[in-house]
Amino acid sequence: MAEPLAEVAPLGPVEANALAVVAGHLQAIFELPALVAPPWPEPDYALIAHRRQYDAGLILGGLAQGRPPGRLRLGVTALDICLPIFTHVYGEARLGLGVGVVSLHRLARGLAEGARPPRALVYARLAKTALHEAGHALGLTHCQVPGCLMAFSQTMAQIDALEGGLCPACQADLAFRRRLLSSASTP
Amino acid sequence: MSRALRILVVDDEEAMRESLAGWLMSDGYAVATAAGGAQALELLAADPRDLVLADIKMPGMDGLALLERLRAEHPATMVVMITAYGSINTAVQAMKAGAADYLLKPFDPEEMMLTVARLEKHRALELENASLKEQLAERVVFEDLIAQSPAMLSLFDLVAEVAPSEASVLITGETGTGKELVARAVHARSQRAFGPFVAINCGAMAESLLESELFGHERGAFTGAVKARRGRLEMADGGTLFLDEVGEIPARMQVDLLRVLEERRFFRVGGSTPVASDFRLICATHRDLPDLVESGGFRRDFYYRINVISLAVPPLRERPGDVELLAEHFRARFCRETGKRLAGLSREAIRLLKAYAWPGNVRELKNVMERAVVLARGSRVEAKDLTFPAGGAEEPAGTLAEVEVGYILRVLAAQEWNVTAAAKVLGIDRVTLTRKLKRLGLTRPA
Repeated sequence: MAEPLAEVAPLGPVEANALAVVAGHLQAIFELPALVAPPWPEPDYALIAHRRQYDAGLILGGLAQGRPPGRLRLGVTALDICLPIFTHVYGEARLGLGVGVVSLHRLARGLAEGARPPRALVYARLAKTALHEAGHALGLTHCQVPGCLMAFSQTMAQIDALEGGLCPACQADLAFRRRLLSSASTP
Repeated sequence: MSRALRILVVDDEEAMRESLAGWLMSDGYAVATAAGGAQALELLAADPRDLVLADIKMPGMDGLALLERLRAEHPATMVVMITAYGSINTAVQAMKAGAADYLLKPFDPEEMMLTVARLEKHRALELENASLKEQLAERVVFEDLIAQSPAMLSLFDLVAEVAPSEASVLITGETGTGKELVARAVHARSQRAFGPFVAINCGAMAESLLESELFGHERGAFTGAVKARRGRLEMADGGTLFLDEVGEIPARMQVDLLRVLEERRFFRVGGSTPVASDFRLICATHRDLPDLVESGGFRRDFYYRINVISLAVPPLRERPGDVELLAEHFRARFCRETGKRLAGLSREAIRLLKAYAWPGNVRELKNVMERAVVLARGSRVEAKDLTFPAGGAEEPAGTLAEVEVGYILRVLAAQEWNVTAAAKVLGIDRVTLTRKLKRLGLTRPA
């Protein structure tokens, strides 16, 4: 296998299928050879106790520590993540700084209150959100092309409506960012 | 994708500030951050923004105080207040004070993005509206020039017509008429608008210094030339070179410049490699160049080369219709800069300004207005706030009657409308002055 350019880091217990889905999509859609890292402990340092949520910004700080140069590190967690100023986020990344995190917690909710969506739909949402955050971590910004993975999705229904691929402009941008990443990984 | 809306996030908590800025940036907005109200005002003074997202609770200047300052100093900037659940009343207060919206934190990211997108649309509509209004209104603003007199409006038309060509332009006009602004307008309307506009005042320096400024120099070209330096000719590559006071250029350098204009290449002082530069030349002078050519003080060939298109900027005394407009423009500008609130100019002040000869033209009017705004103690600029340089009024414009009115008003203003004292200064008795005031319809301002 080629030198991995992406690393999927499970933060706390995460089902193996979900991790395989994320790694598989990074490889297939973003053409980033990816590996699944051994489990990381739950990010207690990021817990906002009174909200029973985890601060995604602090988690990104944790993920950035010790990140090998030239490797994207994407955390996947089942915990509910947020930012101090936001009620919740599905995922979060540091623009162009090589780290991102996605949460299964809210993606596993149905569109209607209390409904449980089929697992395949949850995995599809997870893959789209993970690729979206990976795009940001590589330096891609939001895109206005409807259906493009980098389009800003305001609701779960909009995430579901994404086509799962990038528009040609974002694809070209990604190719450039991938080359940058690859050159940084070459000793 | 980059968006048109430029945002400033103001919050004393770094985590809040940075996460909000990060989200907005990933959506393509240009975002700056400030840790408090004072820093925000400093940033905005240097780099105005369309939207400010400010936390209400901050140490020092809080969000509401910041909002008040923004309303006064940056009325076009939209403000969204960020508040916690506990301070909802303050948010309502902020809306009453002119905030565009408020967000209760922690807020749903979707709600925040929708709010920003709505304001972006609002700003776009506002700009479109302003642009339509501008098209409908009488044309008074052209680039940075402001006028409504027929003479200036025809000059604007001429500038718009000649700007796209590559021909050299010679701008003539008295000192202070705004020749450099006209040059900048030509540049801004030309195909070189995105290139540099490089200006140099040829009358302000000695010959050797001017040569080095224009052509640049190599290291060791003369004592003190410790490193090589690019000259203005080189800096203007791809743009416009503006030679102000071109009539002061020494004869030898006129030859050198003529060669540059023909060859488009030159040597730095002390250099042996030719340097190419592609620029459009605009010159300006307050002197009568044809006269100077006749007397041998200016090269004829150089004059013809720089005077392909000539633009004459009329002196302010020949366009009295612009005086009030410009005075009002400078009042608004200096009020903004000094933070003073002056509603306008009194009728007497306007009459006085119109009666003055303005030997120093727009620059002098600007100085008079700057001083008036600083000195004004009332709610508007009064005649007594206007001070004219000594002797300036000896060359008045207008009819004898206008001059008389202007002078009487100035004396009355100086004597704070004490008719007896004013009559004494004017050398007439009080009864004569009272009769005159009645006849001319002059009354003490309210």
